[in-house]
Order: sequence, then C-alpha cells, then structure tokens
Amino acid sequence: MRPLDETETTAVFEKLFKFVGNNLKNIVENPSHEGPDSNSGRYCFRLNKNKIYYVSESLVKRATNIARPNLVSLGTCIGKYTHGGSFHLTVQALNLLAANAKHKVWLKPQSEMSFLYGNHVLKSALGRITENIAPGDGVVVFSMSDVPLGFGVAAKSTQDCRKLDPNGIVVLHQADIEGSQKSSQPQHI
Amino acid sequence: MEAQSDFQVDLGHLMAFNPHHSFPSQPSSRDELVKECLQKGTELVQAIADSLFHLPSTEDVDGPLVKLPPPATRLPREKHFPTPKPPTKWELFAQKKGIKKRKKDKVVFDEQSETWKRRFGYDRANDEEAIPIIEAKPNDDPNEDPFAKRKENKKKRIEKQESHRLKNLKQAAKAGALPSHIQLAATALPITGTQAAPKKVTKDELGNVAGLAATATASGGKFDKKLPGEKAAAHKGKYRKFLPVVEGSGIGSREKEQTEKIMNKIFSKNSHEILNIDKAVKTYNVKKEKKQKSEKSKAASATGGKLKPQKKIQKNPSKKGGSKKGKAK
Repeated sequence: MRPLDETETTAVFEKLFKFVGNNLKNIVENPSHEGPDSNSGRYCFRLNKNKIYYVSESLVKRATNIARPNLVSLGTCIGKYTHGGSFHLTVQALNLLAANAKHKVWLKPQSEMSFLYGNHVLKSALGRITENIAPGDGVVVFSMSDVPLGFGVAAKSTQDCRKLDPNGIVVLHQADIEGSQKSSQPQHI
Repeated sequence: MEAQSDFQVDLGHLMAFNPHHSFPSQPSSRDELVKECLQKGTELVQAIADSLFHLPSTEDVDGPLVKLPPPATRLPREKHFPTPKPPTKWELFAQKKGIKKRKKDKVVFDEQSETWKRRFGYDRANDEEAIPIIEAKPNDDPNEDPFAKRKENKKKRIEKQESHRLKNLKQAAKAGALPSHIQLAATALPITGTQAAPKKVTKDELGNVAGLAATATASGGKFDKKLPGEKAAAHKGKYRKFLPVVEGSGIGSREKEQTEKIMNKIFSKNSHEILNIDKAVKTYNVKKEKKQKSEKSKAASATGGKLKPQKKIQKNPSKKGGSKKGKAK
C-alpha cells in the first residue's frame, strides 16, 4: 500500500471529475467518522497492487500493520490501473459516485434487467435524464426507485437524445451491479 | 567657441582630446547636457577627419588609403606585469660557477660514419644505443649485460631530469610564475592572477565517480568488474520516492497539499463550464418557442384543429431538481 503520486492522482481525479464534477471536493474532503478518535479524519486514496482504494485515515493507519504481500484490500476499491497504465473505475465506486453524481439517468422498470445484463442504455429505456449532459460525460444509472444500478459514459447530449430514434444508444455501459440485487428486486417480465 | 587647433589629435588611436573644455557645475537639464555633448563631440570628430585628410594617401579600389602614424599616447597596461621566474637549480649553479651558455649546432660530425649527422633525433650522431660491440673491461662482471646496463642508466638519467624539471616548476609555481602552458595543463592549479585555492576532490566524491561512470553502461554498471576493496554503488534499487503512507494519523500535510493542488488544477481547467452557456441559450430558446407556440395556437384555435403533431416527449419534468443536485456545495 502506498499513496498515489502526482500522475496517478491526476488520472484518478480526472476520471472522478467526469462523473461528479465539482463534487470531487466533497469526495476528497469527506470527513470520516470511523475509528476511535473523536476528531474525524478524512478519506484518502491508497494504491495496492494496481488497485485504488478509498479509505478513511484511521483505517489506513491500522492497515499499515499488515505486510504488503498479505494485504488484499482495504476500504472500498474504486478502480484499478490497467496494464497499459490507464485508470478504470470499477463498480465498487458506485456508492461513492451515486452520492455525488452530477449527471443521472433513470431507467424504466422494464429495461433495468437489460442494463444489468451489460447492455447499453437505449433511448427507449430512458425514464428521466438530467439536463446538460455533454457527450463523453460520466453518467450514473438509477432505477425509478432511485437505486443506483451502475454507471457509464454518455453517448449523446441531452439535446440530441430528444431527437434520437428509440433504438439509439444514450449511455454506454461501463459497470453495473449485475445480479447482486436480483433477489431483492422483483423480477419483471 | 575654442579654436579647433587646440584639440589634441592622436591619429594612431584615432583619438581627439579637448583639454580646455569644462562642463558647468550644474547642467540645466539632461536633454541640454546631451545636446552639448553631441555638439562638442562632432567638433572633435571633425578635427580627426581633417587631420586624416592631411595625411599622404594612396589610391585604392574603394577610395584613398591612409597609413596611420604610430600612436602618441601610451595607454595604461591592462593586466599586471608577469612575475619574474625564479632561477632553476642549474641556473643558480651556472651563475655561481660562471658557466656561460654556448650556441649549439644542428649538425655534428659523427666519428663512426664520418659524416655530418643531426645532433638529436632519428639517425643522430654519436648515438649511444647504436653501438653494436662493447669492449669488455678487466673489472667487468661477466653476468652483467652491458647493453641492458646502458639502457637502465639512460632511463635513470631521464627520470632524474624529469624530477628536476618538476622541482623547478614547483618553485616557479610557488613564486607565481608558472609558464602558461603548464598552467593550462595542470587544472588543479589556479589561473594566474586568481586567488582561488586548488580544488581537492573529497573522498566521498571520489567514491561516487565509479558510480557515475557506471551509468554509462547499458546495464548501469551492475556487471562491471570491481576492484578489490571497492564498495557497491550507494544508489541501488530504489529509484522512486513516494509520500509516506501514514503521516501523523492518516493523511499528512504533504499529501493534502498534493491532492489540493491536483484538484484545483482540474477545477480550473474545467472552470469555463461553470457558466453554462448552452443552458442559458437553451432556456432562452425554449422560452421563445413557447411564446411562438402560444401565439400560433391562438391563431390555430381561430382556424380550428391541431396543426402540429406533438414531437417532443416529456423527458424531464423535474428539471429544477436535477440541476440543483448537480451544483457543488
């Protein structure tokens, strides 16, 4: 485990910024209430074996007691570095993103399963969409009951969405919670 | 003003000097001072030009050519006098004994070949090493090789001479009168005139030199043969330095600084999006369209029946809520 250096931090923050925009400040300076200390420390990013973890300070301090080869994971893993050096967000970042997302998309109940199986979001599946999405922005996908389902990249702006035909792709799928909600969610035919 | 003949013109340096001019103690203004200087200067230059044209000239392709006389004014010396060299040991001895230097000829008569050969160099006269037979003397040691002995003696003489030369140079260096070519060659010695002490390489620096040289090899000196007693290079393994994992109780000040810096950079890069021009334009357009629609519908209701089919699907009834969520705290 080690802290990120400048290039790595820039990569992570850029990716997060695409999804949360100026709320990045909230993520970075989030006061954490874990640990025995009464004064809340902050959350920090740590790198272990090409994976980036979002951990509270108190947890980090305690995790230093575990040797590097033995340490598997700490806090929440928000993403990982690929072999080529680029940073990808993984689904475990969903909670963090959903709380601070700037651009959101709500899916119709019938099309939720399609998204959870890994398909892109078509226009016919859209229930609601926030204004002013530019193509290439990060978008968090919700169900109509405001349960975060996953996230992706906007393929078209909100304006263009209106003019699209119903089978056009609106959001490119990047990550979803798969079947982890299957048992709790009622199945739709 | 003053007569022009009062100027002192030195054509060797192309210089004219007016010894009678004096500036008023308080010059009225900078501009006036400049004007007066220029005026006086032009008079002096005119004097130089006049004197030049009085000299005898020869015709040349580009015009009359004039040879300048040697300069009359002596300019002061730029650098100080060189210190006199202290006499070498031989020079002292020669002085004491009264030995005078004699001029030597380039060619000498060689008894062996009975020709005139050069004094030194290839095929020289009276060459010691060119003797094929050495006659043995009665007190000679039979195991001794006389040729080898001669060679050894020569080497010793050369060494002795070299040591004497160096001693003389040291004496000269002490007096500060080292010949310049030696000065340049010996980088450890300071340049003549400066007081800089000769730079001594410290033990640590010397130790690092091998490491520095090792970086020239492709494998970074990892497989270079090491001398006995040579220690391994100091900078092995670690080539990247990271922030400490935990400073204080979690995030240290350095890490905070770094994250702040990067965050601000990202925000400033995208700050042009704070004012959402598209949104402003769109709201304006929407308002305009609504107005047009209401007017047209009024006109349509007058004629009767729907003229335009509804194209737009209601996508965001909660426009206000979405935009509020997007803004940062």
